[in-house]
Amino acid sequence: MQEIHLTGNFPRPEPLIEMTRQFDRGRTSEIEVQRHLDHSVNALLELQISNKLDMLVDGQLNWQDLFRPFTELLAGINPGTLTRWFDNNTFYRRPIVVDRVKRAELPPTKYYRHDLIPEGRGKAIMPGPYTFAKLSENAAYSSFADLVDDLAHSLASISKELTSSGYRFLQLNEPSLCTATIEELEIAMRAYDILAKSSPRIMLQTYFSSISHIKDKLVDFPVDCIGVDLYANDLSIFETGSVTTDISCGCIDGRNSLVEPVDQTVELATKIIEAVAPHRVYIGPNCDLEFLPYPVAAKKVQLLGAVRRSLIGE
Amino acid sequence: MANNLLPTQEIGSLPKAPWLLSYLRGRNLEQSDFDHLEKWSDISSFEGKHETLEILNHTKTSAKELRLRQLASLFGLRFLESTGLDIVYDGEANRIEMYEHAIKNTNGFQFYGRVRSFDNRYYRKAACVQRVGFRFAYHSDEFEYVLKQAKKQVKVPVTGPYTLAEWSFNEYYLEKLMKKSNDLRAIKEQAKREFLLDIANEMLRPNLESLVRAGARWVQIDEPALATRPEDIPLFVEAFNECTHGINCKFSVHICYSNYQSLYPHILELKNCSQLALEFANRDTSRQSAYEQLRLMKDAGDTREIGLGVLDVHVNSIEEPKVVMTRILNAARFIEADKIYVNPDCGLRTRPWDVAYEKLYNMVAGAKLAREAMGASR
Repeated sequence: MQEIHLTGNFPRPEPLIEMTRQFDRGRTSEIEVQRHLDHSVNALLELQISNKLDMLVDGQLNWQDLFRPFTELLAGINPGTLTRWFDNNTFYRRPIVVDRVKRAELPPTKYYRHDLIPEGRGKAIMPGPYTFAKLSENAAYSSFADLVDDLAHSLASISKELTSSGYRFLQLNEPSLCTATIEELEIAMRAYDILAKSSPRIMLQTYFSSISHIKDKLVDFPVDCIGVDLYANDLSIFETGSVTTDISCGCIDGRNSLVEPVDQTVELATKIIEAVAPHRVYIGPNCDLEFLPYPVAAKKVQLLGAVRRSLIGE
Repeated sequence: MANNLLPTQEIGSLPKAPWLLSYLRGRNLEQSDFDHLEKWSDISSFEGKHETLEILNHTKTSAKELRLRQLASLFGLRFLESTGLDIVYDGEANRIEMYEHAIKNTNGFQFYGRVRSFDNRYYRKAACVQRVGFRFAYHSDEFEYVLKQAKKQVKVPVTGPYTLAEWSFNEYYLEKLMKKSNDLRAIKEQAKREFLLDIANEMLRPNLESLVRAGARWVQIDEPALATRPEDIPLFVEAFNECTHGINCKFSVHICYSNYQSLYPHILELKNCSQLALEFANRDTSRQSAYEQLRLMKDAGDTREIGLGVLDVHVNSIEEPKVVMTRILNAARFIEADKIYVNPDCGLRTRPWDVAYEKLYNMVAGAKLAREAMGASR
């Protein structure tokens, strides 16, 4: 049992990059940017559909970083200083928690384009509550656990809205979880208890780091699938009997332009499929593809299509 | 004459002059282009205004383009000198961008498109598709012109080997190793080392040697990507030492938006480095002084000069001289004052010209206030 999917932000195509630059310089209107955005989201969906990807993402093409939409969708959080996004030459604005975190009035439609995704095939992506809290500047809570807890409730509220809009899968990005302490893992696990009922299926996506340090605890999280970055982990992570959920197998490198050979990727995916059986394997990139120029990212989607044809057939 | 105490320096880039961009892109010049030239020529006593206008008003030829590029360099130089800075360059007027300029002029690379830096800001990222090879000394002409024209001390910014490697996709060295193993994690590390050392030896070193032959006395190696991966610091040290050893010149390293804790103790092993120029203002908040991080240097016994970032280059708000002074005095709690150079966090290329000017002008004024405060307390 395998499915093919993308795991995060997709790069903006050149015309959209140019349009946003023109907008910043006051040379075009917001309506014009939105028109390009809609066109780009549709083109990305078409790219995924034509390559037979099973779950579809909208690419989050208008997100400035993983957290920025949530400085609008949630109350109590402001965007802060530019901060390096893990070990990448990409920066995010560190969220500053200035007040108790709550769901704000704004509907999620500005940042989740379920209006363009075919019914029942959409996967929504959001920051996991642990990573969100860990990478924020906390100027409001005396307890880290309380902040994680409130973030989980607020994210769950958005997730329920997205589920009722037709999303069948929720992916929570948790790159920081790989280096969590035992106490922090307990806090994170309680947050996932809160989130568990908000979506039919939940995927906890780790990336950039090895999960070896948290693996034993991770199996107790109430999630349907765990995402693993194979450019940061070796195959021993899937040793027989250690896997208790479905696995999202990040075997396409979202941070290097070298397009992996199809046969080598199929061979790797096959090993994992055999190792984690009878659980389902989702094959995709190890992280967002937005670290690549658009034409290269598109080639990696085509690679996923070729891998799917080889593993599953037309 | 440079100030002996708290000399002020720029870090690198300025925005590109709009009239230069219009000319190079073949666009019709707008009134705003001429207004820009007029305004800043007056403020910075730019002696090339009339010649610049002459070129802009006539048909483009390659000889005229070459001369206009020189004039843009002089324009940047005079702009920086007029703010009162002690140590200057030309705002990298003729470099497309700190990464792209170096890569475009070196063998082995291919550009595929742009990737995001932050928000709506992007840069062109190249892939290394063949072994890295020296093509020509891509900073030498620019440097020789600046040196001839400068009225202040000159420091040449040069993009460092680690940043060039880190900001490129490594296809050639990875693909070579992929044929031998399928341990993705291990081959990625080995490919990174081979790539980085080739950049240091085959690309950077001949460029640095050429600059020194042309008269460079101070080269700032820009490494904004450093500390991206703390485990790579020893690798950076190895590459830096490879490309600078035996070269008779003052070298400094500029690092920004990084976790400075991860630099130590390895960075103490840099053999030919006199100064660390670091970003601090971006992370300086009312809740916590960023300058307390200088305790790291003190505790590590690092006695090199510090280039102290006192201007946030990502916001348009102008730091008052008193804010600059306070930042310097905060730093002086941890570092000997005679080791402190005062600078912006990073290059000012993303700020409008008037913002860049006011920030630098206030920085110079703030350094003066700090000098006075230090003198008063002694």
